[in-house]
Amino acid sequence: MDLKPPDLPDIARRIADIREVIIANIVLLGQVPAPTFHESRKAAAFCERLNESQIDECTTDGYNNPIGIIRGSAPSKPPIFLVAHLDTFFDKEIIYNFTVGKTYIEGPGLLDNSVGVGVLASMPQILRFLDLRFESDIVLAGVIQSLGHGNLRGIRHLLKTWVTPIRGAISIEGVELGRLNYFSDGMIRCEIQCSVNPATGFTEKHQPNAILVLNEMINQIMELGVPQRPRSQIIIGKISGGITHGRMAHHASLGMEIHSDAMRVVKSLYQKIKDIVDGFNQEYDVNLKLKIISNLHAARLKFNHPLVKSAVEVMQQLKLKPVSEASESELSILLARGIPSVTLGITHGENKYEENARVKIQPMFKGIAQILGVMAAIDRGVCDG
Amino acid sequence: MDNSWLQKNTFYHSQFSNLEHLVLEKRRKGLSISLCLPTLNEEKTIAKEIIIMKSELMTRFPLLDEIIVVDSGSTDRTLEIAAEYGADVYTASDILPDLKDFKGKGENLWKALYVTRGDIIVYLDADIKNVHHRFVYALVAPLLLYDHIRYSKAFYDRPISVGDQRLRPTGGGRVTELVIRPLFSLFFPELTQIIQPLSGEYAGFRSVFEKIPFPIGYGIETSMILDISAKWGLDAIAQVDLDRRIHRNQSTKALGKMAFVIMQTFLKRLVTRGQITLQDELFNEMIQYSLKDNEYCPEIHQIGGHERPPMIEIPAYRKKFQRS
Repeated sequence: MDLKPPDLPDIARRIADIREVIIANIVLLGQVPAPTFHESRKAAAFCERLNESQIDECTTDGYNNPIGIIRGSAPSKPPIFLVAHLDTFFDKEIIYNFTVGKTYIEGPGLLDNSVGVGVLASMPQILRFLDLRFESDIVLAGVIQSLGHGNLRGIRHLLKTWVTPIRGAISIEGVELGRLNYFSDGMIRCEIQCSVNPATGFTEKHQPNAILVLNEMINQIMELGVPQRPRSQIIIGKISGGITHGRMAHHASLGMEIHSDAMRVVKSLYQKIKDIVDGFNQEYDVNLKLKIISNLHAARLKFNHPLVKSAVEVMQQLKLKPVSEASESELSILLARGIPSVTLGITHGENKYEENARVKIQPMFKGIAQILGVMAAIDRGVCDG
Repeated sequence: MDNSWLQKNTFYHSQFSNLEHLVLEKRRKGLSISLCLPTLNEEKTIAKEIIIMKSELMTRFPLLDEIIVVDSGSTDRTLEIAAEYGADVYTASDILPDLKDFKGKGENLWKALYVTRGDIIVYLDADIKNVHHRFVYALVAPLLLYDHIRYSKAFYDRPISVGDQRLRPTGGGRVTELVIRPLFSLFFPELTQIIQPLSGEYAGFRSVFEKIPFPIGYGIETSMILDISAKWGLDAIAQVDLDRRIHRNQSTKALGKMAFVIMQTFLKRLVTRGQITLQDELFNEMIQYSLKDNEYCPEIHQIGGHERPPMIEIPAYRKKFQRS
């Protein structure tokens, strides 16, 4: 890449000239169902799109993460990674049909993360159209098994088996344009399952109710002292249980995440929750199980790391106001492996987890220009040394 | 029955996925290709069709030379959206305005012959929810690769969209199975080899389309098959499996009207060819009943069965395309 930073506002304007290519990739890939653990069709479609773009190399790693490589001009420089997860929250039962309007795209899974995947697949053509070349190889990684029970297995495997150094990485998310994530909390995602052995005959009404047991459990968790420093939080995110309105619930489950920027606090809070679960098991005639679904260690770049500073400059050049929060995503794994990385959002959107998720088209061009700006900064060496 | 045509002239879309090869063939033969989307209130789907075709078959692989939309008078934002994404947009009544105005899909397709430039014209319904560029390249491919093929037609699985998002695994094709296939079986058994004669996606050479009449409404698909097979032989027709097409579910009453028009078109051709003789003229009213306030009320729809003559008979067309 030319050592001079690119004129990003101009690049954003020019990207709009190939909007059809970008939207087509978002739509054609986004309409392929990819629930976590069932991403093979989307992975194949992603490879197909890259091959059709005449990318220099396209393959899958041993874990079936599809990967494309745009060769750089200096083989000695380590590669720059662009990463987007392929899986979406929706199952196969719904129709993945997107609608394109004059200013928007609408459809399930768009924000998380079909826009990111579509932009990733468009990179070869975007770079060719803008005549942008980099010294480093650009690795386009569509990673699988990221969300929920997937526990970021795709990116974990990719990085574990990538033998050579990585110069820097950008994790691409559909929304929100302006996000600049460069640190991730320590996190334990866990589930409490409560079961009551179903009784027979008239004895049922004297049994404990699994939902009420979990309700009491929530009350006790809320009484735990969650410290503000280190910044910590327990998020009760998911609850389900019962069969019908008029029957005692025999089964119920509670999903939660414990976050903190200090892993020791995460572990200590988890231990306290485990103690509550053990206490309930002793005191009530119920079977409570606490299960860890995933865990992440806290990792971060400093706010004055050259990559973070460059990303801020890029965003300011595009008149974007950076907003930084912790992000538990591919970023966590990249940072944990010591790879300077940030997560960036492409555009603005709404109804993230609804079937009618909607993103705006126009801001995407700034979002993509911002990624190119940060890639250029990495290529100039801000992560080296 | 000899079903050798089915074996020889049926293709699967993936046979033609080498788009570079198709572009080379197109160039070698010096052909140009137009895509026409007939519309009436298609604001939900039109942008996606244009974007995907433009991206894949104009920007990435220059197979298409133009995309045009011919509209029957949409009251939604179909035209505005189509223009925004770069299609050439026409209102049917503005094309050849000296001729009497009709409304219908066939009318749009016929008038498209006048405003398109291509040697090959691809007609695609504008309401395809799962549109993919194979819907175009796989129809064009037999025309580019096999000299004897002059017209190609789509067939596919036909799941229908129920409500907003849920899929029903099978369905669709009711008019085909209840109307067209029995008629073909009775009069033209060889045409039963065409799996979905009513599919709204087809491509052909201008030199073919300009020489056949176009019913102005739903009869267009039926007439094309009957007229092209009669004039150029069944072997000039190919059919291509496009895998799956998700379309809107239509009410039985709407399908009834469609069936009426198709039978009208079909019988007209039987009479013209002397295969049957009618003692009297056919009526031109489709009568359906609804229950309103406990009374059966007839709903009468006048369906004239008008047909446009072969475009080549229109002087303005002959002049524009220098046909003698």
